[in-house]
Amino acid sequence: MNGPVIHDATTLPVDDNVNPYAFSVELKGSKWFLQKGKMIAYYGRIDFHGIGHGPLDRLIAGSFHSPLHAADWVVAEGQGKMLLADRSFDVNSYDLEDGNLTVRSGNLLAFEPSLSLKQSIVPGFLTLIGTGKFVAASNGPVVFVEPPIRVDPQALVGWADCPSPCHHYDHQYLRGVMGGVRRLTGLGGASGEEHQFEFVGAGTVLLQSTEQLMAEAPTGEGPPDEAGVPGGGGGHGNQPMPRLPGQLGDLQRRFGL
Amino acid sequence: MPFRLLNSRMVEAQVVPGQRLFSQRGAMLAYRGEVSFTPSITGGQGGVMGMIGRRVANEATPLMAVEGSGTVMFGHGGHHVHVVELSGDTLYVEADRLLAFDGTLQQGTMFMGSQGGVMGIVRGQVTGQGLFTTTLKGHGAVAVMAHGGVIELPITPHRPVVVDPQAYVAHRGDVRNKLSAALGWREVVGRGSGEAFRLELSGNGTVYVQASEEKL
Repeated sequence: MNGPVIHDATTLPVDDNVNPYAFSVELKGSKWFLQKGKMIAYYGRIDFHGIGHGPLDRLIAGSFHSPLHAADWVVAEGQGKMLLADRSFDVNSYDLEDGNLTVRSGNLLAFEPSLSLKQSIVPGFLTLIGTGKFVAASNGPVVFVEPPIRVDPQALVGWADCPSPCHHYDHQYLRGVMGGVRRLTGLGGASGEEHQFEFVGAGTVLLQSTEQLMAEAPTGEGPPDEAGVPGGGGGHGNQPMPRLPGQLGDLQRRFGL
Repeated sequence: MPFRLLNSRMVEAQVVPGQRLFSQRGAMLAYRGEVSFTPSITGGQGGVMGMIGRRVANEATPLMAVEGSGTVMFGHGGHHVHVVELSGDTLYVEADRLLAFDGTLQQGTMFMGSQGGVMGIVRGQVTGQGLFTTTLKGHGAVAVMAHGGVIELPITPHRPVVVDPQAYVAHRGDVRNKLSAALGWREVVGRGSGEAFRLELSGNGTVYVQASEEKL
């Protein structure tokens, strides 16, 4: 058994994990973007500016393209080391090299300004483009998988280089005679796996080890209310899903099936 | 069909045509290939009688049958996963701790009160197991969920193992269990040690214990 490791300003890792749940960032006059409330401790002299402050306008114009998240982010600037963590979720850093990665907005903790943050056209996701390091949390360790793959929507953390996230509906068991009975009576219930996200093509998909989502960060208003903008108009990104032929809606729940 | 642990909370299973797998509903995280997930009305094997037995015993956890060809990744609720390989022996486990198991394993329910009489019933209450528990028998693998990591403790005839009933996960082999209670005036006035109930397992086999006293 080893006891607790005691760190000080010199032994804290530089831009690396302290343990699976905490990440240490070194600032040498540089800047990092971080989500509000994710800094748990720091050494040195670090200032945290809310986005929208005068002196940082140029930086924000260059690497922050997500007006609806502006209220949730701050810029850390100065000398020292800071520790990032999020509700004891697993924290990992990722390096992008002239790449792109889309991640669930609640999971992203911090990123270097050499990356630029953009809202994904998939509501609730953010895309990072460029070269640099970012830190993201997940409920359980992250597993990297390669397409073609179908993923439980709640287990998805993000994806890199895959241009094709789409929905996949599976109602195979609702066909045939037994399927008809099942559909009419609701007997047997649903498997809970009728709907997945499907990824094809080249790239990497990031999965967390459980289907329990981390609470989403509040996203403020939705994207601009324009024709053809998914999730546009009203702020609630997800419209209610149309009811599918096999779904009985509340009936199944009432029977406890 | 072996389960492969991807990390402490996720397993990957190979599905080949003609061999089915049962898993807890909603526990699939991702899959490759053509795999279908059918909710199992009867909650496993044994037809309608098996279903009625499980309903009566309150061991009817919603299961789904996984068939097809491909690989499937399972994980549930952020719980730790432990893979148990059975080779002809029997695993005694609570149905809601089952993440996934081989379709070739024989599923049954067992009345816990038959071991230890009244104390067996109290035991069921204390461990949160109720009066019945699920048994899995045969050759194959089972992925069991636990809150915190799982420790395997061997039980030999001369070395019984005593565990906290809340940390108990499952056991296998030819094992008798006995709940012992050390209730005294201290417990009555609320100054107990918090360890009044102990589960003593004796015989020949293995007990699985989780590193937490939290139930699933």
